Amino acid sequence: MSHMTNPLATPDRLFQRRSFGALPLELQDTIFFATQCLTQAAGILLQLPQSVTAQANVLLARYWLVEPLMAHEFSDVSAATLYLTAKCSPHPRSPRDLSNVYAYLLSASSTFFSPPTAPNNNNNNNPSAYYVSETAYQAFHTRLLALEGRVLYALSFDTHVALPHPLAVTYLQALEFLHVPKETIGGKAVQYLNAALLSPQMLYLTSQPNTLAVAAIYNAARDVGAKMPECEWWEVFDVEREELGFLVVGMRSVEGWGRKLREDMKAMGVERGMIMRKHVEAELSRRGLGVRIGNKVDAEEEAARMMDEKMEAMEVAG
Amino acid sequence: MATKAKSRWADDEADAALEAQRKKEKAERKRLKAGKARKLEAERQARDAAPREADSADGPPAKRRRVSPEREATQPTTGSDGPSGVPKLLRFEGGTFGRCRSVENYDKLNDIEEGAYGWVSRAKEIVTGKVVALKRLKIDPKDRGGLPITGLREIQILKDCDHRNVVKLQEVVVGDDTSRIENIFLVLEFLEHDLKSILEDMPEPFLTSEVKTLLQQLASGIAYLHDNWILHRDLKTSNLLLNNRGQLKIADFGMARYVGDPPPNLTQLVVTLWYRAPELLLGATRYGRAIDMWSVGCIFGELLTREPLLQGRNEVDELTKIFELCGVPTEETWPSFRRLPNARSLRLPTGKAATGSAIRARFPLLTSAGVALLNSLLALDPERRPTAREMLAHEYFRQDPKPKQEAMFPTFPSKAGQERRRRRETPNAPARGQQAADFGAVDFTGIFSGREREERGGGFSLRMV
Repeated sequence: MSHMTNPLATPDRLFQRRSFGALPLELQDTIFFATQCLTQAAGILLQLPQSVTAQANVLLARYWLVEPLMAHEFSDVSAATLYLTAKCSPHPRSPRDLSNVYAYLLSASSTFFSPPTAPNNNNNNNPSAYYVSETAYQAFHTRLLALEGRVLYALSFDTHVALPHPLAVTYLQALEFLHVPKETIGGKAVQYLNAALLSPQMLYLTSQPNTLAVAAIYNAARDVGAKMPECEWWEVFDVEREELGFLVVGMRSVEGWGRKLREDMKAMGVERGMIMRKHVEAELSRRGLGVRIGNKVDAEEEAARMMDEKMEAMEVAG
Repeated sequence: MATKAKSRWADDEADAALEAQRKKEKAERKRLKAGKARKLEAERQARDAAPREADSADGPPAKRRRVSPEREATQPTTGSDGPSGVPKLLRFEGGTFGRCRSVENYDKLNDIEEGAYGWVSRAKEIVTGKVVALKRLKIDPKDRGGLPITGLREIQILKDCDHRNVVKLQEVVVGDDTSRIENIFLVLEFLEHDLKSILEDMPEPFLTSEVKTLLQQLASGIAYLHDNWILHRDLKTSNLLLNNRGQLKIADFGMARYVGDPPPNLTQLVVTLWYRAPELLLGATRYGRAIDMWSVGCIFGELLTREPLLQGRNEVDELTKIFELCGVPTEETWPSFRRLPNARSLRLPTGKAATGSAIRARFPLLTSAGVALLNSLLALDPERRPTAREMLAHEYFRQDPKPKQEAMFPTFPSKAGQERRRRRETPNAPARGQQAADFGAVDFTGIFSGREREERGGGFSLRMV
């Protein structure tokens, strides 16, 4: 049965995130969304199959329900989960490849969250911006390995992720693709499933794959105007009406969420590219919540970050 | 989004979902306004509904939809529910996730053995007093690849498995210093023996009925693994554990992995040499469940004689031993073998004496059903080996003497329970990154020079099957 089931978040854990998290909820959501997008982008550049990247997305979401968000740099957590899932899959990637890809994605030349079509995009591809020096690589590599252990520890070494994508296709076959072209409805359903990976509602941690698959099919069928059976067909796939309703809405709202979170990031001064811990810290101090959250940094890093914060503040003021 | 082809029903559903959402939010706001007494009341309600909601935990608890009369109100009448109105749905339980516990929850009792992938010791869980086997993963701090993939695979596969003939992984624990994850222990259920050391020490071989029980359990464990797309890739007697209640469990999944259909390209550097299938020795990178079945055949032979069946000194010698026992392959007995990387330049003897199997002669006391089973397990052509399920249905297990009941199984003095360490005489499974043997042109033509004598030996006549 393990191919059909995932470990899910307990209500306590979800509640904890809302109550004790020192970070305001919308900041948490922004970080979550941006990091999941970063993982997807890295997966594409590393030429990993979506099945691997999607598993990394799910592991990352689980990890952040156990460990505090601010403990490590977000992009490092993304890299570590992707490294780990790729390693356990038939498509391992070397730390060197990951280092290069993440250096590029975080550089000023990257098109991540900064498409060339954007109006105020002044970046031209400058390879020196993402050149990785040997020291930088060694540092990245060390952080990657430490975080790999940390992620495994936080998840009790359970890297099992059952994805709903194959189920969705099987269910569509059972439904005879609702008599619309296979590619149209299949593609739409997969799109909904992939988008749901990014949702700060953490749909993959609260619903089993069969439910996600059915909700994606439902949404896809509505989008392409396919006629669904006139009975409670989701019950055939062991999905309750209520669950379905919740997920249908949840999946449809991802696009809106994404837009809003991008706006939030801009409001925090992250015009383009990936959000970093320093941005969040600057935002916290701007709001007068300047609490430093559970991470041990050495004095040098601390000083560097304070400098960054000041710069940030000046920029905002100016 | 709105199209003509959309069913009327679809509209209702979406509206209902939105409606439910809105109502829920409204109720939520109301609830927050209400006094503490009401909160308590709501909490009580939530608790009552909890078992139901636990199944579909799809939101933070504060926002949880309540199972309310709304459901009945908006329920379309076209539903296929019975009069009770509650359809029976399968619930999928995947458990939850969270941090590892510390190894300090266990008291180490004594060391058991050192394997290729880690040290094993016997330990007691302090709270429950339960005795377990603690297997410590070997981690090379100089390995810049991070945690060993073999260890991670073993953990993942064992976590996914639940079968009485597969050793159970209770949990994974780590050393007390969690800032750096370096000490990783697998908490496995403890079994008193491994089959290898029992075989080494027993004065008389197992009875036929006992062999059948062991084989049946082995096949049933493997059938479970294969049904779940897992190849073990290192089956041997030292990896089969036995407890004092006659229960056999497959252990050591350091080589195991998930496969798909069609099988992916895999490394041929798997399985301890003495149990390695001929297609692996000949360099196949696409192989399947049949390699495990070959190992089962080797284990079968070992159970009968107490000696490993094919003790080759190296790859070439192992292949020689295989051909001596099973005959050399021909285009009829193994149609595609010449296409395997290491088989192209092999020089093989020809003639009838070379191609026949010597299993009948080697096991004179085995019934013909037993010989048929062993012969099929040790078929050179992987396609001809039975699956684990087919093996379970084999005539051999239905013949008298019937498999012995597990509870009637003899007990053995425990090695693992005492201070003595297990000896290791079998070679280990190949290590990652090792070079695969390249045979070049090996000459096997001389291997049957002594065969004529061998078949007649023993002083009694044999019926060849």
